[in-house]
Amino acid sequence: MSFCEWLARELGRVGIAGSTRRRIVAEIEDHLACDPEAQLGEPAALARQFADELGTVRARRAGFAAFAALAIAGLLYGAAFLVGVQGFARHRSSLPALALIGGVLAIVGAQVAFVAGALAGLRAFRRRRSLVVPRAEAVILGRRATVGLVSGLAAMAGLGLLAYRNGMPTSENTFVVVAASAGAVALLIAVPIMVSALRLRPVGDGEPGDVFDDLGALVPPALRGRPWRFALAVAVVLAVVIAVAGIVQQDPYDGAARGIADALACLGGFALLGRYLGLRRS
Amino acid sequence: MRAEALKGHLDPLILAVLEPAPLHGYAIIEQLKQRSGGSLSLPEGTVYPALHRLEAGGFLSSAWSDGNRRRRVYRLTRAGRRELGARRGEWQSFAAAIEAVLA
Repeated sequence: MSFCEWLARELGRVGIAGSTRRRIVAEIEDHLACDPEAQLGEPAALARQFADELGTVRARRAGFAAFAALAIAGLLYGAAFLVGVQGFARHRSSLPALALIGGVLAIVGAQVAFVAGALAGLRAFRRRRSLVVPRAEAVILGRRATVGLVSGLAAMAGLGLLAYRNGMPTSENTFVVVAASAGAVALLIAVPIMVSALRLRPVGDGEPGDVFDDLGALVPPALRGRPWRFALAVAVVLAVVIAVAGIVQQDPYDGAARGIADALACLGGFALLGRYLGLRRS
Repeated sequence: MRAEALKGHLDPLILAVLEPAPLHGYAIIEQLKQRSGGSLSLPEGTVYPALHRLEAGGFLSSAWSDGNRRRRVYRLTRAGRRELGARRGEWQSFAAAIEAVLA
């Protein structure tokens, strides 16, 4: 078996296929034609180096792309919600089950998308100068991007379902549907970037990191290395902020109830997705 | 110079070699050897992943040449020139600091 045949096989083993593999093999063939004695190293090591370096670039790009797409979608979501909420409140849905599903998707999806997208962008930013990240960390970046984009799409679909009701003024309805569709398009544009990161990942060993690697010095020293205590602190801050907003809006009981509900949702989300999204290690 | 010592410096070296004119992979490695007077002898295989990574990062662009032999030719992009300028500045500050201590 020639060096290039061996290299092609090893590239396939680390997940490099198609045009990228053909191009690498063609370049190495040309190099060996120029210098048959060239010291190119072991094919397996060379293939791993390609996977490490290209996988890192792709994982980081997926994190940034998901963050950017979700930022655009978030602005559209906010505008749609502000415009649509008036109509949603005035007009009862003729399909209450559909409206309920839409509401759950729009609210839960948006919150999960916000957290996952922000974490994806944050980790990508933290690793912006890294030549190589461990496979475990690239997996976490891919998961954050995927969960962010999927949840964002679910939120946009939820908005669409909420708008689909009788008696709602046409202009509000149309605006919500158009904004949700535009947000969905922004998210869909980032999907191929995410898929390319999922197809090729680094192969190196190492730790995936956790929320303290994301936030670094922003976390007070007393909370560092204690993910559950950190999650509890975030939930309490969230509850207080929402309760204070309720007081400002002269509806303190509603504010307190929503604050407690959001704090519980925050802790529930941390329990369900914390490990999957690389917020905690165990 | 040991290959280990070159880690972290390979990117600006590649960008610098490509600054005057576009080159293919083998010519880039030859230029690295020539311009360093033979001091930079890194494992040749390590250059190709770096070229692909720099291209994915937007610092290089590449295309197949139309000559007798099908070759991938790399050229510096505008972002690559900016990056090279920044890395040169970083290196000069670093080298000056080390020199001040060692001298």
